[in-house]
Amino acid sequence: MKDERVLLLRRDGHLWGVVHDAVRTVTRGRDGYRIWLRRRDLAADDVLGVIENMHVWPAGGALTRFWGEKARGLAVHESTPLVVVDPDSPPAIFGSDAATETSDGHDDQPSH
Amino acid sequence: MTTSRGDAADDRYLLIQAGEDQCVLPLARVRRIVRDLQVTPLAGATQELKGLAEFGGEPLPVLDFSRLIGATPGANPAYPVTVIAWAGPAESRELVGLQVDAAVEVVTIKADAVVPGGEGIVRGDVSLRDRPVRVISLSALGAGG
Repeated sequence: MKDERVLLLRRDGHLWGVVHDAVRTVTRGRDGYRIWLRRRDLAADDVLGVIENMHVWPAGGALTRFWGEKARGLAVHESTPLVVVDPDSPPAIFGSDAATETSDGHDDQPSH
Repeated sequence: MTTSRGDAADDRYLLIQAGEDQCVLPLARVRRIVRDLQVTPLAGATQELKGLAEFGGEPLPVLDFSRLIGATPGANPAYPVTVIAWAGPAESRELVGLQVDAAVEVVTIKADAVVPGGEGIVRGDVSLRDRPVRVISLSALGAGG
């Protein structure tokens, strides 16, 4: 287990996390948010904030075998379990189809 | 029910009902049996992975045990019971939740009564009160198991 600074997101009704070190910036669009990472970007329905010193457990063999996506680890926020995604290989659910930027320009938010 | 975390050889097992099958899990691997554990589905998971749960403040993958062993689902597969157990090899074991129909009782099975065979996590079979029971190896449950 490792303590990390984690940005909490909501996507498709579920809670997810991404380590804050990997986040370059967050922009807000008409249909949600876009989280810009080092190499990828994530579409999110909502951004809940940053949790300091979140306990992140390594993803074990059972998750690796039966999920089919890479994970940096697992965590719990207010009794809700969540996956902390691998910033270099985020799950397909974070595809960029939902979070589109507004037509009148970026509604940028400062990086968390 | 709480038991030892150890992986030492033991002839005590937990008899469980999984669909129409009965199986035994090594009791030394069982940490607790809970009812109505709340499970959060995980997008993209296979049918074996029901989702994630919180147990004792820690995240826990929860597996559909009947699907793991290819058992025929029962008439009312609600899986009200979750067996929380150590899975994987001893050096890299992890806690998982196994959704089953019922935790029946603790039984004693001598090693020489087990007929080796089966695939995946099924180590073999044993006859218990003239009924076939599958013997499960949780050490084989993991990334490569």
